[in-house]
Amino acid sequence: MILDLHAHTDASDDSRASLEGYLKWLQKKRDVVPVDGIVLTEHRQWNPDVDYRSLEDRYEIVILRGAEVETDYGHILLYGVTDAMARRFDFADVHLDAQQVVSEVEAMGGIAAPCHPGRPTIGLCEHYEVKGALEGVRAVEALNGGSRRGENERVEDLMQRHGYKGFGGSDAHLVSLIGICATEFDAEIHDVDDLVRELRDGSYRAVDFREQVRAARA
Amino acid sequence: MSIESPGSGVAKRSFELGDELPSLRLTLAQGEIADFVHAANQAAPRFISDEGARADGLPGQIAPGNMSLAIFSRLLDGIAGAEVRRLSATFRAFVQPRIPLVASGVVTDVENGDGGTLLHCDILLETETGDRLVTGTATLFLPNDT
Repeated sequence: MILDLHAHTDASDDSRASLEGYLKWLQKKRDVVPVDGIVLTEHRQWNPDVDYRSLEDRYEIVILRGAEVETDYGHILLYGVTDAMARRFDFADVHLDAQQVVSEVEAMGGIAAPCHPGRPTIGLCEHYEVKGALEGVRAVEALNGGSRRGENERVEDLMQRHGYKGFGGSDAHLVSLIGICATEFDAEIHDVDDLVRELRDGSYRAVDFREQVRAARA
Repeated sequence: MSIESPGSGVAKRSFELGDELPSLRLTLAQGEIADFVHAANQAAPRFISDEGARADGLPGQIAPGNMSLAIFSRLLDGIAGAEVRRLSATFRAFVQPRIPLVASGVVTDVENGDGGTLLHCDILLETETGDRLVTGTATLFLPNDT
């Protein structure tokens, strides 16, 4: 099963894509971007009230939710977000303590995974060089669809050195970029509990559809 | 500016999600950026020369954001008879001279109305190697009678 674990809708201030735009695109482009589901990881926010079940049924695409928060070690994706987590951490705070986020999110039943680690300033690699490693990180975003040349390559070394698992996400902010990088899980994932369980202990790998998207557009 | 494009405009009248706009391939010359900013009355040193840009802490001469918007406008002109109703962009990285660029667009939604069709498009300005420099969206109106 293939999920795009990192996508932003226009609920994020820098995205220009609607959720339904993503779903229409994936429905039409399934031969090029064979993604079964997406995880919405809006910047610095958690809205407990949204319900996407009717859209899931209409488009037959799994829609899960997480968040992307900003810390002293760069940006971190949170999966398995709960209201208790959102009360514990001010998601709008751009200076969250990364070690607290990683440790406490894990203790509260979720998983915190640094995204685009190879990116200057907001990626984990640069912070590790200066401040040392965080404890308790299980997985990082090995493949980010918005990364520039060299950024994803830096992550391979990070993963080998620290034994991290790697997953993929498009980091889409535009409709046509959804699903270009994603994660293939060996297990079926139907809800956030499945997702957290698999990210912690399951078998998965980053998958890259950028070349086949380019080939289809050529 | 040397632009490789398929011509003055594609006369296609029927579009669907996933249709590509005719892409543009171009490389900006240093003098072209300087000429543009002089004409636009925004001749800051970072737009004029590498030396002026480095004095501002930049890696070298850069193109102003509205020059990228102008490239997008040229891209959208690739559909004959279409009116640009909306254009927005996010500037992700510097656009610099001497680097081969590709401007591309794709239709992400189509709304058919009484007087014509609205085409919602994603638009990208990338290096040839796929680094995204400017991303955006645009809405085009294609009147029925053109």
